[in-house]
Amino acid sequence: MAENIIKQAHAYTANIPLALISQGAEALVFTSPVHPYLPSPPTCAPDYILKYRPPKPYRHPVLDAQLTKHRTLSEARLLHKLALLDIPAPRVIHVNPKHGLLWMNNVAGPHGFSVKQWVWDIELATAPNSALRESVMKANMLQIGALIAKLHLNDIVHGDLTTSNIMIRPKMAAADASVPVPPHNILNPNLEPVLIDFGLGSHSALAEDKAVDIYVLERAVESTHPVNSETYKTWLLDGYVQEYERGGKGGKIRIKEVLRKLDEVRQRGRKRSMVG
Amino acid sequence: MICYDISDKFPAPQEGRNYFVAIGLEGSANKLGVGIMLQQLPTKHTPVPRAQVLCNIRDTYITPPGEGFLPRDTARHHRNWVVRLIKRSLEESVLPAKMSGEVENRPIRVNDIDCICFTQGPGMGAPLQSVVLAARAISLMWKKPLVGVNHCIGHIEMGREITGALNPVVLYVSGGNTQVIAYSHQRYRIFGETLDIAVGNCLDRFARTLKIPNYPSPGYNIEQLAKNGKNFVELPYTVKGMDLSMSGILAYVDNLANEIFNEKSNSKLKYTTTGQKITPEDLCYSLQETIFAMLVEITERAMAHVNTNQVLIVGGVGCNERLQEMMKTMVVDRQGEIFATDESFCIDNGIMIAQAGLLSYREGITTNIKSSVCTQRFRTDEVFIKWRTN
Repeated sequence: MAENIIKQAHAYTANIPLALISQGAEALVFTSPVHPYLPSPPTCAPDYILKYRPPKPYRHPVLDAQLTKHRTLSEARLLHKLALLDIPAPRVIHVNPKHGLLWMNNVAGPHGFSVKQWVWDIELATAPNSALRESVMKANMLQIGALIAKLHLNDIVHGDLTTSNIMIRPKMAAADASVPVPPHNILNPNLEPVLIDFGLGSHSALAEDKAVDIYVLERAVESTHPVNSETYKTWLLDGYVQEYERGGKGGKIRIKEVLRKLDEVRQRGRKRSMVG
Repeated sequence: MICYDISDKFPAPQEGRNYFVAIGLEGSANKLGVGIMLQQLPTKHTPVPRAQVLCNIRDTYITPPGEGFLPRDTARHHRNWVVRLIKRSLEESVLPAKMSGEVENRPIRVNDIDCICFTQGPGMGAPLQSVVLAARAISLMWKKPLVGVNHCIGHIEMGREITGALNPVVLYVSGGNTQVIAYSHQRYRIFGETLDIAVGNCLDRFARTLKIPNYPSPGYNIEQLAKNGKNFVELPYTVKGMDLSMSGILAYVDNLANEIFNEKSNSKLKYTTTGQKITPEDLCYSLQETIFAMLVEITERAMAHVNTNQVLIVGGVGCNERLQEMMKTMVVDRQGEIFATDESFCIDNGIMIAQAGLLSYREGITTNIKSSVCTQRFRTDEVFIKWRTN
């Protein structure tokens, strides 16, 4: 089945080289060295990401076309909004809503990795309770928390926060030519997080939706990094709260509301309560 | 709050036997069901013996077209029929000779029964209460322990027993529930569910708008009408992450139906984009296509999430062949397997209550008569699944 879909993706992209990197329920993600408008690349670095939503054979064709178009467009719009807000996330290069294709830059760069992989690597490379692990981990977890807060302060919710939907990359300022970044240096002190996959993202000003967003992340951390999840969760939330508080009095009022909702959501789970 | 008596000792079968027998009473909605189930102990030759259905009977409270079932009337129906149904179930169940150790097959006797299982929730209050009352009465009369069962768990366990699915993602779709469930660490966890009304409720209420008969079931009649639908009418599509919402779709399609029936109206809504007049059949077809696509989508998401390729469909709407067909298309694409049961086990029945109840009874879980209250709200993930491993 996957081969067929990959064939379709090739057909819609004039047979450029595509390398499958992930396959979810809704979409396939490829990397490619080819830019849709610029001339052929000098290198073969996988600089671009293609997200392809294949047609679902179980759906009525009219419904399927409508959904693919709507979802691809809304994701592209959200990413564009993030670009305007200067929140690190993929930049849209090209959208083909009819065929469900979204062309983005490879925002994490060649030396980026998912937070999930990064945490696993650090847990392997450093001793538990070591000062090194704590300093690197804490700094980045605080940054991730702050990034999510930035998103929420702009009334955007991600909808599917997990450690595999957050990438981590060397800071762009530090990545200038004079200081070569060693590839895959997980202990690089100048890392920054990037959010990806806004397929379930939406605009929302409700504290409830933001609380659910954080709760989903907490649950994901618990299941993917069970050993130190409590510490990680504390750091993430600290970073989140600090970012709100930087906004002065207004921020403090908003964070209170979100935290109150978060307590509620934690008690009942993501689901509506059925006690009564 | 549901309380159980949990004993450290596992109950043994009656003397000289290698099997358990349970009677299950179900009445959480408009169906009253009684079932008698026999479970054998594992032996060397059959390490996982299949449960035997000795009897599975049901009486459904049917209302006239255009009307739903009200709790009070449904409860009265259950009270009127429960004694007759229990008596009939005892008469119809046959205990095989090789089980009883007697010369001939014989009808089951009250003494053969180990426990009485009843639906403790979720469901409509009044019907639940009348069936609990019957369960308590026979428990005192026959001096047998009670076992309260979560209705959803009953559906899941019966589906697993009948189809042999090991660890599937379960889509539970009925008149009162819509949930996508996967097992993990001794709980059936809800991955996605409806945020407002259930799928079956949506279909039933639309059937009322169209004034089509409630016999044998509104959903079945919609399915038959939908087979003649030709034009697809675009309806709202509301999947929110892993959850879905259906009240908006119902309101929209109800509105369309009213326009069609209103002769005076000249609304554009009466015509498709290609200018053809929309028929009730088209609406049934489009409604099914839309809400079933939503169900298949969240099921696929749950499958990707928990990394399994088995799907089990249970609940009354699970009988719908179009839903099964759509699910099959999706599952085959993922090289997986689909499991579904027929209407005798999909639609609410007593035997599934007996099955799930017997599983808990064999782990030493019973319900004290003092705590045998029923509850309208009883979440699937509240039940501790002692009989399954991690």
